[in-house]
Amino acid sequence: MFLTRSEYDRGVNTFSPEGRLFQVEYAIEAIKLGSTTVGIRTPEGVVLAVEKRVQSPLLESSSIEKIMEIDTHLGCAMSGLTADARTMIDHARVTAQNHAFTYDEKIKVESVTQAVCDLALRFGESVHDEEAMMSRPFGVALLIAGVDELGPQLYHTDPSGTFMRYDAKAIGSGSEAAQSELQDKWHKQMTLLEAQKLTLRVLKQVMEEKLDHHNVQLAQACHTAERL
Amino acid sequence: MSIMELNGGSVIAMVGKDCVAIASDLRLGNQALGISSSFQRIFPVTDRVYVGLPGLATDVTTLRERFRYRVNMYTIKEEREIEPETFAHLVSSTLYEHRFGPYFIEPVMAGLSKTPSGGYKPFIAATDLIGCLNFAKDFVVAGTASAKLFGVAEGLWEPDLEAEDLFETISQTLLNAVDRDAYSGWGAIVHVITKDKIITRTLKARMD
Amino acid sequence: MPDMTSLAHPQQRAFNPYTENGGTILAIAGADFSVIAGDTRQSEGYSIQTRYAPKVFRLTDRAVLAVNGFAADGNMFVKKVKQRLEWYRHAHAKDMPLRAIARLIQTMLYARRFFPYYVYNILGGIEEDGTGAVYSFDPVGSYEREACRAAGAAQSLVQPFLDNQIYFKNQVPAPGTSHPAHLPLPTVLSIVIDSFTSATERHIEVGDGLEIYIVLAKGRTLHGTESIGGMQELTTTDDGERVFVVRRDLKKD
Repeated sequence: MFLTRSEYDRGVNTFSPEGRLFQVEYAIEAIKLGSTTVGIRTPEGVVLAVEKRVQSPLLESSSIEKIMEIDTHLGCAMSGLTADARTMIDHARVTAQNHAFTYDEKIKVESVTQAVCDLALRFGESVHDEEAMMSRPFGVALLIAGVDELGPQLYHTDPSGTFMRYDAKAIGSGSEAAQSELQDKWHKQMTLLEAQKLTLRVLKQVMEEKLDHHNVQLAQACHTAERL
Repeated sequence: MSIMELNGGSVIAMVGKDCVAIASDLRLGNQALGISSSFQRIFPVTDRVYVGLPGLATDVTTLRERFRYRVNMYTIKEEREIEPETFAHLVSSTLYEHRFGPYFIEPVMAGLSKTPSGGYKPFIAATDLIGCLNFAKDFVVAGTASAKLFGVAEGLWEPDLEAEDLFETISQTLLNAVDRDAYSGWGAIVHVITKDKIITRTLKARMD
Repeated sequence: MPDMTSLAHPQQRAFNPYTENGGTILAIAGADFSVIAGDTRQSEGYSIQTRYAPKVFRLTDRAVLAVNGFAADGNMFVKKVKQRLEWYRHAHAKDMPLRAIARLIQTMLYARRFFPYYVYNILGGIEEDGTGAVYSFDPVGSYEREACRAAGAAQSLVQPFLDNQIYFKNQVPAPGTSHPAHLPLPTVLSIVIDSFTSATERHIEVGDGLEIYIVLAKGRTLHGTESIGGMQELTTTDDGERVFVVRRDLKKD
C-alpha cells in the first residue's frame, strides 16, 4: 500500500522513503520558533545569553528561567519547548552528580552532552508491550557550556541527538542573523568582557523589544566557578 | 577473650657484641582499659641476668616471687650465682610443673654467662607458657606485640652491635612495635647488660 | 527403606564462601614515583597452592593495583576494575586518573557491602599533579591516601617497620634538621626488599617470589637503581608516566 507523506508522520521512528524522520525534523523546526539564545567561547570561559519574551506587562520576568546550572562547572541555555529542557537538564544533573560520586572528579563537558543526547534519542522506545516512556522527540535545543581539563567549551544539541562543539553559536528564532553576526565578530583571543558585550549586541540586533535587564538572562562558565 | 591478652604488654631481648639488652613496655591494662603506665615486668635475677615476664599480671607477681625463692635457694645451696643458662632451665622446669594448669606468662631472659677463660658470653632465651625453651642467637620476643616485634627486629637487628647501638636498635624495635599494638605501650624501659655495667633507661614514648 | 529416624533430628549445614590465601602486599609513595609490591606465594592453610600467583596488576600507565586476601575474589575484582577502566576510556576518551580509580574502587567495594569482596586493596601510582600516591582500602571500600601501607598476612610484621623507616616514627631529627617527607627511589626499593625478606623469614605464608612495580611520573628516570637488575618496562604509551616491574626470588621454605 502506498503511503502519502503524512502517513510517515505518524510513527516517530518510521523513516520516509527518502530516508527522513519527519517528527524529528518538525521538532527541529519548533526550535526556530523559540527565543534567541547565544553562546560564545573564549579562552577565559564561555558566555551564554538568552532573550526572554515578556509577553505581558503583568508577567514577572524573573520567573522565566532559560539558563540553568547542571553542575558547578557546567551551564546550559535553551531554546524551543523549554518544558522539555527540564527533563534533559534533570538527566544531565543526575549524570554529572553520579560521575562525581563514582569518580571523585568533574564530568567532562562532552561527556555530559553525550549523556543528554543519548536521552534525546530514546523517544518511541518501548520494551515488549509496555508503553514507551517518551512519545515524541524533545522540542528543544541546548547550548551546553562548561570548563573541564580541556578548557572552556560550548556544545550545541538538537532533538535528533546530534551534538557539535562551537566557538560561538546562536539558536532560536533570530539565530540566522545572530549566527552571521557572530561569525563576523568572533575572534580567537576574545576576553570574557568582550564576549559578554558581543552576546548582548547580537541579541539586541535580533530582538524586537528594547533590551533591558528584564528580558535578557546572561551567564558565564569560567575557570573558577560558574556564575549566573 | 584470651587470658594472654587480658593485661597486655610485651618484652624483647637482643644479643650484641659482648652485651645483651632486654626491654619492655610499661602498660598494665584490663582489656581495652589502661590501668597503669608504670608496671614493671622485667626483673633482675643476678647482677648479670634479667628476666621479663609478659602475660597475665597476677602471674607476673607470683612467678617473680617463685623465681626469687628458687634462685635464692640455688645461691645458698650452690654458694654461687646462678648462670643464665641454668636460670633458663629453672624457668622452664618451673613452668612445666604446671603443664596442665599453666602460669599465663611467656618469660624472656637475657644475661651474660661466664666462659671458662673468665670472659663473658651473651645469652638470651625465651619460653612459651609451659616452658619450652628457645635459645635464639639474635633476638627473642614475647607478649601481645610479638608479631610486630618480630617484623621490626628482623628488619633492624644486625650482628655484633656495640652497647650503645644495641640500645638504639632494641629501643626503636620496641617503640615502633608497641605503637602498632593497642595492648602494649604507655612507656618503655630498656636494660643493656655489659660486662662491667648495666645501663637502664626509661624511654620517652607515645602515651596513647 | 531409608532410615526415617535421621529425619527426626534437625541438621545444620553451612557453606563458607571465603578462604584466606595468605601473602602480603605493600606500597610506598615517593615525591614523583610510587612503588607497589607483593609476594607471589598462594596458600590455603598449611599447603602451598602455587609459588607464582601475581597479586599486583598494572591497570594503566599510571596506576597499579595490589590485591590481597581471598584470591578468587581478588582476581575477579581486578577483572571488574579493568573492565570499568576500559568503559571509562570509551566514554570519556582518556585514561582514568588515579584519584578517580580510587573512588571507583570504593564504590565497587561498597556496592558489595553485604557480600563483600574478601580483599584488601592497595592502589599506587601517579596523580594528575605528578606526585606519587598510595591509596589503601578495607574490604568494604573505606579508603585513604597515604605515603605507605602494608596489608595481608604479614601486615603486623611490616607496617611498624615502615612506620619507622618511612615516617621516621620514634626518631628525633638532629637539631636544625628535619626528616625528609619523601625518600629517594633506591632507598625505597631497599626498604621494600628488606620488608619482604624479613616477612619471608618469620611468616610461613610469605615467600617464593617478589614482584615490585615502579610507576614513574612524567619525565622522571630510573637512575640510581642500576644495582637492581632485571627491570622490565611495561609502559604502553610514549611521553607519559612509565611502569616497570622487577621480579626477584624469595626463600621457598
